[in-house]
Amino acid sequence: MAGSEAKELVHTAAVDYAPLIVLLPMLAFPFILFFGKVFNGKDFWKNRLKEGGLIALPVMAGSLCFALWLVSDFIGGAGLADSEGWTWFTSAVWESGTNKSTALTLGFGIYVDHITVMLLFIASFLCLLINLFAVGYMNTDPINDNRNHRFYAEFVLFCSGMLGMVLADSFLWLFIFWELMGLCSYLLIGFYYERPSAAYAAKKAFLTTRVGDVFLMVGLAMLWTLFNPYAGAGQGGLDYAVVFDDANIKEVAKSSTGTLAWALGLMFIGAVGKSAQFPLHVWLPDAMEGPTPVSALIHAATMVNAGLYLVARMFPFFGSDYLHGELTDLAFIIAAIGGTTAVMAASIAFVQHDLKKVLAYSTMSQLAYIFTGLGAALYLANTLDWHHDYKAHGIVIVAFGAALFHLFNHAMAKGMLFMASGAVIHEVHHAHHHLHHHDDHHDDHHEPAPEELLMLANYLQETGQSVFGFFNAIDLDQSGEVDTYEFQRALKESDIADLPPWEMEPLMKALDMDGNGRINVPELEVSLGRIHLASLAGKDDHHDDHHDDHHDEFDAQSMDNMGGLASKMPLTATAMLVGSLSIMGFPLIGGFWSKEGIIANTWRVAFTDPRFIYPAMCVLLGAAMTGFYMSRMWLKTFAGPPKTEVAEHVHPTNTWIKIPLFVLTFFSLGGIVLASMGFTHWAPDVTYEPFFNGKKSFVEGLVYELGHAFANEDTRFFILTYIAIFLAALVGPGLALSLYGGKLNEGEKLMPWFAPVVAVNAAIKGRYHWDNTSFAQSGFSTALSNRLYFDHYYDMAMLKIVAAFSFKAAEADSGVIDGTIKTIERTSQQLSTKLRALTTGSARDYILMAAVGTLALFSMIWGLVA
Amino acid sequence: MSGHVSTVEPFSQGSDLITALAPEFVLIIGLFTLMIVPNMGDATFRIPLTQVRLPWFFGGKRRNLESDPRLPGLLATVFFSIAFLLCGVSFVNGMARTEIVTPGGTPMLKVDEFSRMFELIFFGALALASAASVNRFPATSRADRSPNGLYNNRRQIDFYILLITTGLGMSIVALAQDLFMLFIGLELASFSTYVLVAFIKESREGTEAGMKYFIVGSVASGVGLYGLSLLYLWSGSLQFADLSVAFAENGLEPLPLIALGLLLVGFGFKVSAAPFHFAAPDAYAGAAAPIAGVLATASKAMGVLGLLRILLVVASPEATDGSAVWLIALGVLSVITMTWGNLAALGSTNPKRMLAYSSVAHAGYMLAAITAIGALNWESGYVDSSNDAALAVVTALVFHLAVLVCFKLGAFLVLSLLEAEKGGHTLSSLGGLAKRDPFLAVAMFVFMMSLAGVPPLSGFVSKLLVIMGIVKVALLDVVATDLSFADIHWVWYLALLMVINSAISVFYYLRIGLVMYFHEPEEGRTGPLPAGRSVRFAIVLCVLTTVYFGVGAGQLIALCESAANALVGAW
Repeated sequence: MAGSEAKELVHTAAVDYAPLIVLLPMLAFPFILFFGKVFNGKDFWKNRLKEGGLIALPVMAGSLCFALWLVSDFIGGAGLADSEGWTWFTSAVWESGTNKSTALTLGFGIYVDHITVMLLFIASFLCLLINLFAVGYMNTDPINDNRNHRFYAEFVLFCSGMLGMVLADSFLWLFIFWELMGLCSYLLIGFYYERPSAAYAAKKAFLTTRVGDVFLMVGLAMLWTLFNPYAGAGQGGLDYAVVFDDANIKEVAKSSTGTLAWALGLMFIGAVGKSAQFPLHVWLPDAMEGPTPVSALIHAATMVNAGLYLVARMFPFFGSDYLHGELTDLAFIIAAIGGTTAVMAASIAFVQHDLKKVLAYSTMSQLAYIFTGLGAALYLANTLDWHHDYKAHGIVIVAFGAALFHLFNHAMAKGMLFMASGAVIHEVHHAHHHLHHHDDHHDDHHEPAPEELLMLANYLQETGQSVFGFFNAIDLDQSGEVDTYEFQRALKESDIADLPPWEMEPLMKALDMDGNGRINVPELEVSLGRIHLASLAGKDDHHDDHHDDHHDEFDAQSMDNMGGLASKMPLTATAMLVGSLSIMGFPLIGGFWSKEGIIANTWRVAFTDPRFIYPAMCVLLGAAMTGFYMSRMWLKTFAGPPKTEVAEHVHPTNTWIKIPLFVLTFFSLGGIVLASMGFTHWAPDVTYEPFFNGKKSFVEGLVYELGHAFANEDTRFFILTYIAIFLAALVGPGLALSLYGGKLNEGEKLMPWFAPVVAVNAAIKGRYHWDNTSFAQSGFSTALSNRLYFDHYYDMAMLKIVAAFSFKAAEADSGVIDGTIKTIERTSQQLSTKLRALTTGSARDYILMAAVGTLALFSMIWGLVA
Repeated sequence: MSGHVSTVEPFSQGSDLITALAPEFVLIIGLFTLMIVPNMGDATFRIPLTQVRLPWFFGGKRRNLESDPRLPGLLATVFFSIAFLLCGVSFVNGMARTEIVTPGGTPMLKVDEFSRMFELIFFGALALASAASVNRFPATSRADRSPNGLYNNRRQIDFYILLITTGLGMSIVALAQDLFMLFIGLELASFSTYVLVAFIKESREGTEAGMKYFIVGSVASGVGLYGLSLLYLWSGSLQFADLSVAFAENGLEPLPLIALGLLLVGFGFKVSAAPFHFAAPDAYAGAAAPIAGVLATASKAMGVLGLLRILLVVASPEATDGSAVWLIALGVLSVITMTWGNLAALGSTNPKRMLAYSSVAHAGYMLAAITAIGALNWESGYVDSSNDAALAVVTALVFHLAVLVCFKLGAFLVLSLLEAEKGGHTLSSLGGLAKRDPFLAVAMFVFMMSLAGVPPLSGFVSKLLVIMGIVKVALLDVVATDLSFADIHWVWYLALLMVINSAISVFYYLRIGLVMYFHEPEEGRTGPLPAGRSVRFAIVLCVLTTVYFGVGAGQLIALCESAANALVGAW
């Protein structure tokens, strides 16, 4: 969008085929599901088609091909495109006030600009690689046997959701696909739904993002009311062609700037939920409950990028002349939320021991960087006169491009990191299995639920009673809470158990969540639900569970069980190293180019608007923190002596998993190439397409980028660059090097490229042996381990406010609404019985009734005439 | 609407009669084929005094084909299908309207869009029912040489012969231009169905139901016949055209009014309007499910057809300025019928009785639609718009009857498969159907949703058309801008009642879904239901048409509109 004034909409054949990018995976969804259901367990399906994995693969490859065609057309100069699309339905809306009707059109079309192209490539490319990875990961684990078709079906649907969202030409379709992704994330995070933690995580992810989505919907509704009056024939009020039209923005800006700002703000809350930013971030770490390919999918390719995409889409509003300077507050909020999350997530990542959790918080923190970058870019676009001033134009483009480029780099690196971590976990787990011959899977360290409660849960299930109904029946004094006496009586009356009061104590304890000695409905419902789920999960014996949290103590995801894997899994270690360096922003590698850009531009704003000093400081601090926790992760996993016996027996992973790691390693390493090609200022603008337009050769681009990065003419930025490099590449990693890792065991061979890393690590660790126990035992560390108690307080708020309210609402529902309906139903049934009693079964009576009817007819016809 | 009508005399030269009545002739051929073919064998005839034996075919040992117990069913299905197709083909390139006249020139039968449309409904329903009966009627394998087995196999022929005579009777009703012809057709069809209901005479319910149906039905017929004779007494003619003229002149004399009332009773029984419906639930519950399906669809369409002829053509609302004489009577009848049907269905635990009551309720909806036509204002200024509205309502009625074949008959066909395992008489026998036989459960659910009028199924479209038709009539007098309730004709409340009744009906339709999907199967009922290729094929057809006529209703509506045009243009 940036600099799009002069571009004409171009329609090419690639655009005509673009719907296939979305449709292919969408059609594969029912296909895989159906055939999976039919052929489940059959040899051909399982081994040849990998339970649908090899159906999904060509489909995703097809999507990628069409996407690449579109991308190459775009780069080749086609520029913006907005297809005609097809109309879904047209209907007339009658406005009561003005007494006229307006046409309302809903249709789907394709909209292509540089943001689309960037996201489209990321999504389709990573989806394909993750699909490859999944074939190697999911199909080799017996726990997934005979249900992988569900995974692949939901996987392709997820991909089609993301691709559709990126390609859609209106906010309405964006929202529809957005929700489709929400659904799929729920399904996939809860893939192991028999595990209560996974079911809980799925619910949490769904509900938390839903909070944001409600705001997004309200925001979109506001936007629709603002812009619909200006929609032409056949256009919907939320079509990009309408809302991004400068003339329309001008009209709206005349009267409703404030409303527009609010609408965008509400939409931003939706993005906050989807991209897991403070304060709606709580779902992301739990989303690790899904299988690892899902984590990669959510964290790199699709879901979290959706929020960023939405904010990036708002650019035309910020960039419009008619809203000049009006939206700075919103830009600041975006940057501030980003800055806060960046530091918060990074600090929580300091203390995580779970490999995937570190990556989860890292995702959160890096997304926050992009939000900060977008905030800064939007601020610049909103305040600078970039339409006319060539220099300002450059600044805006570079700021916006840096954020987009970081999105690209992060997606590539994070996708790779997740897949690599998956490979590590997979192999550690396998090694564990070989060693222990799973003879220990009987000991169940979960505290068993009291037998009586299990019986109660089953009793309710069998009698089909709702918890509410049961509760109301046992709450004798109708106080809304059940005390020990009432509960004891209830158990006795329902023939479950007749217990003396002192034996009631453990039961009450198991149910009483807030510890007030009495049970209320939410407590009863939640506890019984958990007990029921746990009993279900206990029934089927998954001794091949990766996350093995209820069979034995060994945790295959914990970095405390790893160490020294660099020599065992060289490719994975390399990939992980490159990915980590890219995320850290190590000079010359992938993320460096974009992260520097974000930091520089945030500071650029901070120099003019003091409010921005806060996010600017945050990103600078965050750079050091990123350096620390990413290094810590790598060192704990790959360097030092193996911490457990298991870690000594790990083997390299399979080919399916290696391919995507290999490919992505080059994408992250090649950051400098991409930067030289002009991706740091990725914009559909002739002036700023040095490489693709042939304006600048590759070498010129390289020199320009290097000079720009390391020898900036502006002193402020020159200093800033080196501060950032110092923090990200020296301070953070240095601290980590001194604390973690160390020399590998004697005799272990290392690949030449990370031998020096380990050597430096060993040297530093030997020289400066820091003692961090005081920090590890501090209250702050505990707070970080508990994720700063966000979950705790959210749960409390739910229990105290939402559950209490819903209890009242349920009462009203069962009393008033249900009561009315039940009364109607009862009366009708009574009438029915009476009526049917007239059908005696005797033909004599039937004829009598017919005679009565005849007489009645006569009286009516004659009554009318006479 | 005065399209060209050609006239044909029976026994005249040329093939005009045969082309005009092709579907009926096909059925007659079918009748004889059914009588002859299953009885053919290798019998030979020895020429006396010689040893030459000529093959005689009739009698002797039957060959494989002829002795196949499924043959009669297949033959009947084929003949019904041919008749159906011929009716359909006659619509292509415009209907050749033909009257079959007496040598004196009095029309007896008339082939036009209206009668052909109804024949489509009849033959369609009968074809589906006979296809379904191929599997469901107890046919023992041909290897069974026991007396019982042989007996069952021979009985097959009788069953399908009766189905064909039903079809013939119905088509005569559709074609009749004369009350007498109409009555003959009605009785032919009725008597055949009486026997069909009691056909499985080994079962107590079947015989009892058939008996009751026969007794009450003959009383109703007798009453109707009495009304008919009174009409003849009064006007000296039973021609619709003559009666219509006579009614327009002296319609308010006592004699025609008594006759009208008596005829209403006779047809009220056929459409199972309350309080003449009592025998219907018994008959539906006792009869084999495909037959019950025919009763609920084709037989009901026949009754509605009769009512349309009597009320709209003979006692034409146009005849009496303002509104028709039967307006209030029919309105009250429709309200009682729809409410009674729905309330009684609410508590029924026998799915067949439930469907019977739902069919009563549907009769109420159709009576409401006819009532609306009676309320039309035929004063000079309103003729055109009244014509439009009447057209809309009749179209809706015909459409409703047509799609009813898809989902009501379909529901009975599903039940017929349950009957095959001695179920289908209790709601609980449907329990767990979704697990046992997902295809049937889905089909049944679609039928129930369509009966309840859920979009996008055809049941929704038909209900919507009827309601829209009634509302159109009710708002006809209202002049544009400001609407007040006082201006609206009271038939509007019939539409409102229909909506409320539909809401009530959702309860018992959904209950079927609830039982199928969420209840456990009864003890001893496991595994899929008995296979039955042709009945399942019929069910698939029903599902597809139920959905298709909901989504793409346009073509069928156009067809029904042409039918309605033929009727409305004729009065």
